[in-house]
Amino acid sequence: MTSTTFSTDEKRAGRGSGRRRGARRGLAWRLWHRCLRSGAFRTLGPFVPVVALWWLLAALEVFPESFFAGPPAVVDKFGELMEKGILPGYLTDSLTRLCYGVGFGLLIGLPLGFAVAMSRVLRRACWPILLFFQAVADIAWLPIVIVWFGFSLTTVTFVIVYTIVFPLMLSVVAGVEQVPRELVRAARSLGAGRLRVFLEVIVPGALPSVAGGIRTGLGYGWRALVAAEIIVGTSGVGFMMFDARRVGDVSQVFLGMAVLGTLWYALDALILAPFERATVERWGMVRAMEADG
Amino acid sequence: MTALKIDRLRKVYTDTYSGEEVTAIDDVSFSVRKGEFVSVLGPSGCGKTTVLNIVAGFVRQSGGTVVVDGRPVDGPGPDRGVVFQSHALFPWKTVLGNVVFGLRMRKVPRAERNARGEEFLKLVGLEGFAHRYPHELSGGMQQRLGVARVLANEPAVMLMDEPFASIDAQTRRRLQEDLTGIFETRRPTVFFVTHDVDEAVFLSDRIVVLSRRPSRVREIVDVALPRPRRWQEAAELPEFRRIANRVNELLGDDEGAGAGAGAGDGGARGGEAGGEPDAA
Amino acid sequence: MTAPTARRRALLTARRRGLLSTATGALWFFGPLAALVAAWAVAVRVSGVEMRVFPQVTDVLGALGDLWSSGDLFRHLGASLRRAGLGMALALVTGLPFGVALGASRVLSAFFLPLLRFSVALAGIAWIPIATLWFGYGDRAVIFIVWNAMFFALTYNAMLGVRQIPVEVLRAARSMGTGRLRMFWEVLLPGALPSIVTGLRVGLGYGWRGLVAAEIIATNAGLGYALFQAQKYFQTDVIIASMVIIGVLWLLMDRLLLAPLERRTVERWGMTGAGDR
Repeated sequence: MTSTTFSTDEKRAGRGSGRRRGARRGLAWRLWHRCLRSGAFRTLGPFVPVVALWWLLAALEVFPESFFAGPPAVVDKFGELMEKGILPGYLTDSLTRLCYGVGFGLLIGLPLGFAVAMSRVLRRACWPILLFFQAVADIAWLPIVIVWFGFSLTTVTFVIVYTIVFPLMLSVVAGVEQVPRELVRAARSLGAGRLRVFLEVIVPGALPSVAGGIRTGLGYGWRALVAAEIIVGTSGVGFMMFDARRVGDVSQVFLGMAVLGTLWYALDALILAPFERATVERWGMVRAMEADG
Repeated sequence: MTALKIDRLRKVYTDTYSGEEVTAIDDVSFSVRKGEFVSVLGPSGCGKTTVLNIVAGFVRQSGGTVVVDGRPVDGPGPDRGVVFQSHALFPWKTVLGNVVFGLRMRKVPRAERNARGEEFLKLVGLEGFAHRYPHELSGGMQQRLGVARVLANEPAVMLMDEPFASIDAQTRRRLQEDLTGIFETRRPTVFFVTHDVDEAVFLSDRIVVLSRRPSRVREIVDVALPRPRRWQEAAELPEFRRIANRVNELLGDDEGAGAGAGAGDGGARGGEAGGEPDAA
Repeated sequence: MTAPTARRRALLTARRRGLLSTATGALWFFGPLAALVAAWAVAVRVSGVEMRVFPQVTDVLGALGDLWSSGDLFRHLGASLRRAGLGMALALVTGLPFGVALGASRVLSAFFLPLLRFSVALAGIAWIPIATLWFGYGDRAVIFIVWNAMFFALTYNAMLGVRQIPVEVLRAARSMGTGRLRMFWEVLLPGALPSIVTGLRVGLGYGWRGLVAAEIIATNAGLGYALFQAQKYFQTDVIIASMVIIGVLWLLMDRLLLAPLERRTVERWGMTGAGDR
């Protein structure tokens, strides 16, 4: 055992030494390097040159003004819409819909997913149906849902719930299948009952896959929200963008995209990433067991 | 004639977390003659793999020179083929595809390189597996393929980085015997890094024993055992035990000196280095 | 495990892959779907919902027949598939080289990682307003959306895939004197393939949805357009028929495009397991 760990240590040392060639290049270089290592700089730093480029393109008027808005115009627009209260209102609308959709999606998808996954026959029987419903792109449901519920909040929520439930169920089923049989057997032989095995072996074992499913579901749900708002069109950030496009207000379209991107990024960094990080470590554990078994 | 000459090699790197400068290799010099099998052996973390990585051109040294076939080393090149502990085969290429990879890089015509590939597969005992994929082979066979891939390229030096460390004990013995057999018939120049004393003694013409970090050459031990070598006979020879004991002593001394109060632990580890190092 | 049981197991799996298993596999696949259709027919009959709300199975089949005989089906299908194909081809040609090139450089990949994550989040549907502004309503806007939806997912995953190739494999290639172009074709691209296939799947998912949404908004042909036209006139049978077509198309795309690609590359090379490192 010692020998294997030591050899990897040595390799790491070798690799590291290759990487940091310029360790003795003076204070400025070292400060720069320290900066590079900080998380905030790493994530936000790259946006600086991109915004600068955007600005430059707009200032040089490479594209006609009616097609392309620069950062100052977008910031002005932001200020204006904030002042009028339009943007906060639309933003709340969008986020409320997303929250409803995600909440109901999780409430329906998780229990249903585990229920299907726990029985072999049910799992095999439901798999093609799940695949098919996943395949009928959520946005394709919009017209029939409009027929049912009209242009209302229910319509948008329905579509988001739909987008989240199916990837989630698929990932729960796949996740439960991935739990190594040795683990279940080990738990059984240690005297765990069915419920215990479910709660302490199967659920945590399936978690990495479930985390992936939630991410996929949210990714689709997010798009479905925007699409539904564009098509159903009464309020929300998607509606704002399309409305602006109709009257040819480029800066407002750009603003909408910036808002959507930032919002997703925040969602990703604050909720999804920590959750996944917590489970990815488990994933490593599960993987190692599989390799041994 | 010298195939590989390492002169006053030095390697200093900065620790990623603490920012301290660590001297991994202090002063290492030795050379390998053409057609010679030289092993480098040393206590845990002494930087023997780093020496190999520098020779291979993966890592740049802080001081000193490495000369292969009369040319100073500057980056990786086909004159120094590497056999890795993790095999590092290309999973997307067939067995034959892996063997002829280097030849294709050198634009050897197809017919010739396939013939050469088959020849080297036969040499390592993999004939009939040419159209399989690496993942279909056992660990031992994968490493045979790793050796064939390098030999087919006919490098000036074959660098081997603990090639058998991740292979189970019985298979490892077979592989060691086969490697000696190949070495005895083909006479490539081999630079072999290991932490297994018996393995080093069995395979080598000379053993370079490194000291604990920062590493220096402690001693170069000649292995004057007769060839061809087979485990059954070689392990019985008094000369074999004498050399192995000598090397263990050199390593053990160092452990004791380095570990101080933890001498018991150090001794245990020294013993392990000579025995069975892999968790099977 | 002893050798005989291993051999028996290998034999069993080989037999399992035989003809018999394809039949049972098909049964397990189509059986549940047939049951679903039956349940649908019974549910509509028993509850007696109006056609305006939900159509009977036969209505949908009738609508499918009408679409077929009037030639509308092929017009819409052709338009959608052409756009999807063009967008995908463009995304492959632009995204793969870019992603692999980024992955080959530590500095570039560190720089582009947050940018790409941001872009993947936005890719596809959120671009519809700006795409229709730039390209007008029509084909080009839709193709742009499909390209856009796939490009970022492909680039991002290709980059991650290259970064996941073990250092030793890259070193082995370099120590055999591999040039830049060869490195791309023979090492980086195949090495990143498991991740690229993931990217392709995610990208196609986004692209497919983007296609439907963009067709609803921006064109006068295509499945999305047909769907939305039917909604205007409350033709639920046509709506459901179009939805079924969209679902079947996606399943076919997955079965005929992605699954064989995966089987022939990633699975054949044994790169799916955790034990290849």
